[in-house]
Amino acid sequence: MPYKILDKKELAMNEVWYKIHAPHVAKKVQPGQFVIVRAFPNGERIPLTPVTWDREEGWITLITFVRGKTTMRMANELKPGDEILNVAGPLGNPAPMEKFGRVLAIGLITGIVEVFPIARAWQEIGNEVTTLHVSPNPMVILREEFEQSVSRHIVEGFDLQPGWGMNEIAQELVKRATAKVRELLENEHFDMVLTVGPAGGQKAIFNVVKEYGIPMHADLHPIMVDATGMCGACRVTVGGEVKFACIDGPGFDAYKVDWDELIHRTGFYAPLERLALEHYLKQLQAQGGEQ
Amino acid sequence: MAVRRKLIKERVPTPEVPVEERIKSFVEVNLGYDFASAVKEAERCLQCPVEYAPCIKGCPVHINIPGFISKLVEYRDNPDKAVREALRIIWNDNTLPAVTGRVCPQEDQCEGVCVMGKVGDPINIGKLERFVADYARKHGIEEELLCEFEERCTGELGKVAVVGAGPAGLTAAGELAKMGYKVTIFEALHKPGGVLAYGIPEFRLPKEILDQELAKLKRLGVEIRTDHVVGRTVTIEELLQEYDAVFIGTGAGTPKLLNVPGILLDRIYSANEFLTRVNLMKAYEFPEYDTPIAIGKKTIVIGAGNTAMDAARSALRLGSEVTIAYRRGREDMTARIEEIKHAEEEGVKFEFFLQPVEFIGDENGRVKAVKFEKMRPLDERDARGKRKIVGTGEYVTLEADTVIIAIGLEPNRIITETPGLKTNTNGTLVVDENLMTSIPGVFAGGDAIRGEATVILAMGDGKKAAKAIHEYIQAKRKANA
Repeated sequence: MPYKILDKKELAMNEVWYKIHAPHVAKKVQPGQFVIVRAFPNGERIPLTPVTWDREEGWITLITFVRGKTTMRMANELKPGDEILNVAGPLGNPAPMEKFGRVLAIGLITGIVEVFPIARAWQEIGNEVTTLHVSPNPMVILREEFEQSVSRHIVEGFDLQPGWGMNEIAQELVKRATAKVRELLENEHFDMVLTVGPAGGQKAIFNVVKEYGIPMHADLHPIMVDATGMCGACRVTVGGEVKFACIDGPGFDAYKVDWDELIHRTGFYAPLERLALEHYLKQLQAQGGEQ
Repeated sequence: MAVRRKLIKERVPTPEVPVEERIKSFVEVNLGYDFASAVKEAERCLQCPVEYAPCIKGCPVHINIPGFISKLVEYRDNPDKAVREALRIIWNDNTLPAVTGRVCPQEDQCEGVCVMGKVGDPINIGKLERFVADYARKHGIEEELLCEFEERCTGELGKVAVVGAGPAGLTAAGELAKMGYKVTIFEALHKPGGVLAYGIPEFRLPKEILDQELAKLKRLGVEIRTDHVVGRTVTIEELLQEYDAVFIGTGAGTPKLLNVPGILLDRIYSANEFLTRVNLMKAYEFPEYDTPIAIGKKTIVIGAGNTAMDAARSALRLGSEVTIAYRRGREDMTARIEEIKHAEEEGVKFEFFLQPVEFIGDENGRVKAVKFEKMRPLDERDARGKRKIVGTGEYVTLEADTVIIAIGLEPNRIITETPGLKTNTNGTLVVDENLMTSIPGVFAGGDAIRGEATVILAMGDGKKAAKAIHEYIQAKRKANA
């Protein structure tokens, strides 16, 4: 059953925002939960997180980072008024809603999208929330939304240097994130840390947080297919047990996660992902040639 | 006066696509009967009286088998009429014959108890059922009959919600629609069919056939809402407020994984993930289809049920050498005989009495071998009637760059988190003799109550539950009147 795209815009470099009519999700979704989207008949299923929603009007908003074929194809081919084939959800468990006290919620690049609903809800129930967005400057998003929703919003941005690839960006990201987190933890007291972002970055932050002994909640991003617990593609080791992130998570106690294993498994399909993207870019070129 | 007929011991064979051709693609292996051969096979049937025909009792949905077979013989000079009459009889009990004719383990059901089986080959009931369904579809006969059945499907008797669009749910929905209920199915995936959509490969059940069977249900007034995960999108309690009754057919979709070292290495798949990527997402057509699948040159499939055969034969078609490793012996395998035969013909190798104890990875975290303990059988049998085995203390290591684990499935957990819904220790739902759960008005069937079983048992439950739901709703109406 198709879901109409009510609005769409490019928020920043490679960051695309969609407002989608999906009343079944809007009615039920809680902070920390996600949806599975399939946009095209021959498309794959990808997990995305509702950033905002209106239960009465029946819409949700999603922000995608254009990082491969599916997200690029969505960015290129979908227009307001078009329909997305499938939006399943809400999926996963809601984030815990407790009064922790002073919270530091960290989003790495597009991970900040998932931080938003959780941080806002935590603030609303009486926590003092500081949000930290570590990102290349051209990809900084949601600044105003955060400033209006939490106690303090910090943007740790950096410029992209000519010739940088994903590796260099990731290195800079980790360097900036760990330095900033260390600075904050050194000077202030926090009762809880939340992280969302690439597994490598989350692990680096965890290693800092661990030194201060502060509880940490991490939203994990393993590969998913059905996201209803029936395949185990998203399995992670937590506290020595195999867990399925889609039904047992996506949020877990960072102290119990086997980070190296998660980092490894996330890169499983990298060569095929590149192939899919190249295939799509070739198709685009061929189309361009015909016109 | 009854004519004494000659017994024809051997069944009329059905043609199959040659091995060398079929292992290169996912085309359907068995081509089925044409009318002439179907009639010839139908003539072998002894026409046991309906009251005691063992085949009818052996069929979980109790199709009038001699009844539909007799129509093929009776109207042998008018194929369209023969098929129309046969299909009408089948549809009374089973709205998905093109599916069941293909995927039922007939040797354990209708054909297993066929009287002819005692003197020769049992009647090829599955292939005859399939023939009737396929011919009817191709020749517009199904369309005529649908119009006839549509009139019965008024939707006036009440509203029923069905959770899960697998064999149990689809059957319950079809039966309830025929009784006159308005049925809405809630399905978590983007495509209905359950295991028929994501589990069973094209070479056994072409997706086109499934789609047509589903379209037929829609014609009977059944609405299917995909992308709805009951337990998250909507709860059972909420459904009860809107519907007169609920049927849970959520299956057993959670894969069991081996609790041995190395389970998280790359290229170790659960059979469910592997088959979902291949069947539902068409990863074998990557990159035309977006979903990738990574498979190497040597695959080991662990397990010997139908899921293992499906995974092995799919991996073979993706270009891998495939070995099935099973902890028991050849005679203990639970897969259908036909599937084992097909797998062997296609070049799948079998290793018996091997129990995995470790997955060994290379420096890149990818699986490169599986270490097994050699097992030996005992004379005892376990509670399920399976031969017990013990370790010998001897080990063997087989190379593999892909491993698919097909050792079984457990019920889905999302649904069992419903407050007030009682479950057994193995996660299956507790039901009474009418398939009603611990929540009044909520019924359940199929793998959700049995654990991993078969398509046709799920369909049998769906049918039984439909009847119980009808009685429940009508009794409630009377009580409230």
